[in-house]
Amino acid sequence: MTIALTSSPMQHGQLETNRLMLLVIAACLPGVGIGTWFFGYGIIINITLAVLAAMVLEAMLLTLRKRDLKFYLSDNSALVTAVLFGIAMPPGSPWWLVLAGIAFAIVIGKHAYGGLGQNAFNPAMCGYLFLLLSFPLQMTSWHIPSDAIVDAANFSPLGWQGLRQSMLLSFPFLAADAATVQATIDGLAMATPLIESKMAAQNALLTARDTDLPLFARSSDTGWEMVNTGYLLGGLLLLYKRIISWHIPVSIIGTVTLLSLLMYAPGSTSIVGTTYLHLFGSATMIGAFFIATDPVSAATSNLGRIVYGIIIGVSIYTIRVWGSYVDSIAIAVLFGNFCAPLLDHYLRPRVYGHQRAPLLGEKRRTG
Amino acid sequence: MNQLQHSRKIARKLRAHRIFGGIKPLALKARSLRSRIMPAPIPEMLILPLLQHQGSPAAPIVNVGDQVLKYQLLAAAEGPLSVPVHAPTSGEIAAITDAPVPGHGKQSQRCILLRADGVDNAIGLLLLPDHRALSHWQLLERVNAAGICGLGGAGFPTAEKLRSSIERGIELLIINGAECEPYISADEALIRERAAAVVSGAEILQSICLADRCVIAIEQDKHDALKQLRHSLESSSVELLELPTKYPIGGEKQIIQAVTGLEVPHDALPMDIGVLVQNAGTAYAVHDAITEGKPCISRITTLTGTPLQTPKNFEALIGTPVSFMFELCGIEESRHTGSIMGGSLMGLELVRTDVPLIKTSNCLIAKSRAEFPEAKPEQACIRCGFCATACPARLLPQQLYAYSRNQNLEQLEQLNLADCIECGACDYVCPSHIPLVQYYRASKQAISSRDQQRQLSAHWQRRFQFHQYRLKEEADGLQEEERAHRIAPEAAHEARGFSRDKARQEIAAAVERVATRRRNTIASSRESDQERH
Repeated sequence: MTIALTSSPMQHGQLETNRLMLLVIAACLPGVGIGTWFFGYGIIINITLAVLAAMVLEAMLLTLRKRDLKFYLSDNSALVTAVLFGIAMPPGSPWWLVLAGIAFAIVIGKHAYGGLGQNAFNPAMCGYLFLLLSFPLQMTSWHIPSDAIVDAANFSPLGWQGLRQSMLLSFPFLAADAATVQATIDGLAMATPLIESKMAAQNALLTARDTDLPLFARSSDTGWEMVNTGYLLGGLLLLYKRIISWHIPVSIIGTVTLLSLLMYAPGSTSIVGTTYLHLFGSATMIGAFFIATDPVSAATSNLGRIVYGIIIGVSIYTIRVWGSYVDSIAIAVLFGNFCAPLLDHYLRPRVYGHQRAPLLGEKRRTG
Repeated sequence: MNQLQHSRKIARKLRAHRIFGGIKPLALKARSLRSRIMPAPIPEMLILPLLQHQGSPAAPIVNVGDQVLKYQLLAAAEGPLSVPVHAPTSGEIAAITDAPVPGHGKQSQRCILLRADGVDNAIGLLLLPDHRALSHWQLLERVNAAGICGLGGAGFPTAEKLRSSIERGIELLIINGAECEPYISADEALIRERAAAVVSGAEILQSICLADRCVIAIEQDKHDALKQLRHSLESSSVELLELPTKYPIGGEKQIIQAVTGLEVPHDALPMDIGVLVQNAGTAYAVHDAITEGKPCISRITTLTGTPLQTPKNFEALIGTPVSFMFELCGIEESRHTGSIMGGSLMGLELVRTDVPLIKTSNCLIAKSRAEFPEAKPEQACIRCGFCATACPARLLPQQLYAYSRNQNLEQLEQLNLADCIECGACDYVCPSHIPLVQYYRASKQAISSRDQQRQLSAHWQRRFQFHQYRLKEEADGLQEEERAHRIAPEAAHEARGFSRDKARQEIAAAVERVATRRRNTIASSRESDQERH
């Protein structure tokens, strides 16, 4: 008989960090699938590029930091960062843009802080914001394959022509001559509906969108709703599997809904947009369920999580409507990250047998 | 006034309440519940530790070589926090010596070794008249004499707990049959087969502590036990409360919350809010002690784990070696990788199996590699918060972990580390395999040794300041004296019988004495060295 002395508890649950990370990726799949269906292969190219680069960079940094390569690589955390970053990137972004962003995310956003568990800010959003500040033009236009320049009758974003276009957008050097690519890009650029509603004549846009919504027409207009529905489904899966708690997504979505309901003025020419547009016409769902719920950089107590969600929700709405950036998830989440340690410090739950929590305590129950 | 408020609350709110946190681990109790409780045979040698409870050890009143009979008193209680030890069978006292015992701290303790003669002759038991005719102080005295301590695992002397509860006034007595920890099924088997005795024990306990109400609380998935209890409770004033199946609902603070909705204040005891909790096994032992006059010499213990061919519950004599119990169940030594006394979440790893079963041993688990694989390497904390959701004390385990890692004791105290009951729920759910409870234990240790250090340094600080003060006083006094006599300092010294020459001589003499002593020590140590070689 060999004795390996341990101390209690000696029984453990089944869920492990690396499996948890894989579940998060699995929950992204509906959204990614729908995104691909509508916007072509651009998302998949982004994710593939980001994942490959992230694994190489992670391995390099772990070696530099003298960590056990296999053990730390297999926690799959870099994988999740890369997938979320790839999803956040506009499809059709050139390869160097994706690489620059993911490099910033892994090197500065994650390892400079001490690796997994130590990063104060969401790494994927660090990378995204770095690009947004450095390359604002590229980051706010979505390049998608469309039938604008090819024969409309037999064009599909998922067909070989769509693939060719996506590849040309991501890897411009593949084209025979630079002029074609330039023409293609200019021809295909579009913005998210929110950007359009902010920049274009809102009235016409909003009424059109609200009254006559072609749900299943495969157009870039409806694409956004469907993609957001996909991430909503994935988020519900995470909730069901108890990977995330309801507090953060519910408070973010609730805050955005409430603000957009309060501010919406039908027929006005202000730049507010409908609740529906705010929830489904942008990145709200993926932000609420996948980005803001990154536990490392979020607040941890339940009360803290609710306040954290409200802070992010308010920031999202404020930045969209009154700020100069339109899709604001990254900035809002990073702002929430700033507040998280403070929330953790002040919003602690009332401990069993103690009469009050340090702040905003619950009703006193003990005698 | 406060007490009154509680009484109203308790009277109104007797239903299953939610507890904070909690987990639902695999129960793994069915395998030991397949057969009925079996009386374990008498081993050749019984090891009876003098300290099987919380408090001070009992003092032996027998000598080596004495022939003793079953139920005979072997060691008497010493002081209020002590319980006596009785002979589980007849035989000869083989030794009174230090022997290995199960325990967190010192692995070896004073024990009485009893060589069984196999005849099992008993002394005549003092049969009581109807216990209902006795006063509660008389009953309490019987419980005290029977050597009963909390059989649920904590081992607090039952009589002492009852006594202080009588003094404080108790409104609600909870008989804890929740038994929420995986693997353990001793209480469930006991209630299933001897529900009437448990109920009788509960009634006796209630009449001792003078509680207004008595509730037997039990997890709702223990169907057979519930059925038997309902049957036995038909003609009793004792109530039954089904609790949700959740770990650690059977913890003292948790079961109080589950039954009454009240929390025990962090700086108080359950009796301060008018509640007393006793384990179902303890109630059974009290029943035996009062109605049959039997002292606590045996207990129901679960034997389980995959290396055992026939896991079951035994009624085993206190002092039976663990290895003897394992052999009874047909242990496959090739698969046996370790042993646990207690459950899988709060149990104690046994370093060796020649230690005895004691009054608090409710379960023995033989570990196998398949069931208890080696601990996986610790990964980074991703602050997922699963631990906070699981914590029954509503602490923030991952913050406690972070502060434990960088030894920030002040923050740990602020986060109420002291309220951690070490139930292991956080550890169980941690996806990164972080041994959280180990970190907390180490930090609690660090806090207590820091406090000791502080006390010590405060003590020496005071001594030093007093010393300084005294020196100053003396110097001042001297100056005064000099001024008063208007004489030179040298003369003042001489006036007190001090001279430099005399001082020098004394110093030289002292140095010489030390030198001689040192020479002698070196010489003697050399001799002993040579002897060793």
